[in-house]
Amino acid sequence: MTAEHKLSYYINNSAKILETKFNKKIRIGILSSFTINGIKETIQVKSADKNIGCTTYVGAYNQYNQEIINIESDLYKFSPDITFLIIDTQNILGDFFHFPYNVSVLERKNFVEKKLKELQTLIDVFTSNTKSKLIIANFNIPTYSPYGIFETKTEYGFHQMIEDLNRKLSNNVAKSNSVYVYDFNRFILQYGENNIFDSKQFFFGDMKISLDYIPHLSNDLMKYVTAHLGLSKKCIVLDLDNTLWGGVIGEDGFNGIMLGPEPPGNTYVEFQRILLSLFQRGIILTINSKNNKDDVLKVIEEHPYMILKKEHFASMRINWNDKVSNIKEIANELNIGADSMVFFDDDPVNREFMKLNMPQILTVDLPLDSSQYAEILKQMTEFDVLNITAEDAKRGKMYVEQQKRNNLEQATPNLESFLKNLELKILIKDSNEFTIPRISQLTLKTNQFNLTTKRYQESDIKKISDNDEYIVGCAQVEDKFGDNGITGVFIINKINSKEWFIDTFLLSCRVMGREVEKAILGHIINLAKEHNVELIKTQFLSSQKNKPIEDFLPNCGFKKDGDYWYYTLKTPFIIPDYLEVNME
Amino acid sequence: MSQRLYDLIGKIMGVQSSSINDESSPTSIESWTSFKGYVLLSELETEFNVKFTIDEAMDVANVADIKKHLKNHGVDLND
Repeated sequence: MTAEHKLSYYINNSAKILETKFNKKIRIGILSSFTINGIKETIQVKSADKNIGCTTYVGAYNQYNQEIINIESDLYKFSPDITFLIIDTQNILGDFFHFPYNVSVLERKNFVEKKLKELQTLIDVFTSNTKSKLIIANFNIPTYSPYGIFETKTEYGFHQMIEDLNRKLSNNVAKSNSVYVYDFNRFILQYGENNIFDSKQFFFGDMKISLDYIPHLSNDLMKYVTAHLGLSKKCIVLDLDNTLWGGVIGEDGFNGIMLGPEPPGNTYVEFQRILLSLFQRGIILTINSKNNKDDVLKVIEEHPYMILKKEHFASMRINWNDKVSNIKEIANELNIGADSMVFFDDDPVNREFMKLNMPQILTVDLPLDSSQYAEILKQMTEFDVLNITAEDAKRGKMYVEQQKRNNLEQATPNLESFLKNLELKILIKDSNEFTIPRISQLTLKTNQFNLTTKRYQESDIKKISDNDEYIVGCAQVEDKFGDNGITGVFIINKINSKEWFIDTFLLSCRVMGREVEKAILGHIINLAKEHNVELIKTQFLSSQKNKPIEDFLPNCGFKKDGDYWYYTLKTPFIIPDYLEVNME
Repeated sequence: MSQRLYDLIGKIMGVQSSSINDESSPTSIESWTSFKGYVLLSELETEFNVKFTIDEAMDVANVADIKKHLKNHGVDLND
């Protein structure tokens, strides 16, 4: 991965950050049991690099208990969006850290249970007093044991105590949608205890993490920040020659390219495996390559060591056009923003061309050494999300179904007959424990067909759903090629018995252009009629990206007055007859 | 040779390296906080490939002290 800067770089640069117009803003609270100076500056600089304006609050040294338990504390006054809580093992274990074998097995077990209860109390107090997400670090398992090599033969020994604590802590919060466990122990494993823990800095300044590693820790914490803000990447655009396989297919031929169990072919196989694992959790794979299409298709369809098959690629641009035009076409075809794409190409000239023309795309600097490709991909944090839903896992397949739809669209003379041919079925669902994660995810991620672009965390959606003054619903869209999953969301505020306000109305880009919005709006209108409502009011909040929904309101009979759009229930509204709308 | 040290101190304290001399200290440089002192020690160790002892680390009152301790580790900046 790219080399990390020294801490002084971040400290100096944080002073230069102007609180000007960042696209996104976030408030971060940091609580720890030890001195963690420098992390605030590092996170600010790393956030600014991603166009995020970050305000931080660092709790006083080892005051995390008081900060959480005292509901008047500065932490709560600061009102963070995300709070990190990092407690080191020595702090939580107290005397047990040095003298675990002074007591019986039972006492060690009881001690761990007691600590878990204390942590749970902190978590409960925290979650009931703030909307902030809580990211709690688990505990580092030191290499050291007072029993030395006998440690592994000891019942519920020192290391097992901490393992047990970690496992149970994760289990306790697994179902929560606002509390996450940060695998701090894995962070130490990644960089090594001997590097991260500097005895001199610890004894001299109570620093548990050596200053050189504060930037690395910040990288880990940043994953939560970008995921919380919905900035995760969705799509990987791949070059082929010397990227997915070694050599050049046009010159080396089918049998000449390097791909298989022997080095260096095995490096490409591994890279493809990691790509496939990303596909399986919902990342879209596409191809952007200068090649003869037939040469490439033969490899993809017939090469015995190709891990990625045709069905894994949502879009392929294999031609002699320039790669920037190609990538723009891919973005259009898939209906995704360029800023959610990542570009892999071994050729530095192609990369430079891409960076220059499409700076919003993340162009990865691949090294000459292909043995590093898989590692680079594995270490990328840009794909991290806080929740992987059933829809995510199906996404890759859905985009392949999308290709089939596009083919049908091209073969059908007009839009209406195409839509008729699609056999669209829209199922309106209420918000409930199964749909709430996806509803929140859509409000966080949808940019284009989004009337108000209001972002709601899961806890927000839950709260709104529980409020009788609101109706929260979603739409699952199916057609003859497959199930698109939940791809529409609406939130209505029942202002009074005569007037409703549409707070949120959005469609995933996956189902745009199929009049699904009319089915959803029709459903809302019918619902309003049943409740004897006379007027539906809403707003179009223009953003940089939501132009596609601009004409939606006037097209559906809404009239503008001042900042708001109004629809009187007397206006007739017809749901296109080729849409089948049902309610769950 | 001293320049390399002054540059590093200047960079970490956020001041011109030309303003640094052997008498520079947390008293004369406002931005030289105790935390910046830790950062300085850590980055000195990387820059000059040395490891200070905790006694040395605690015995830094000014730039001359840093030079003295670097010399203990075979880095003589007054060459």
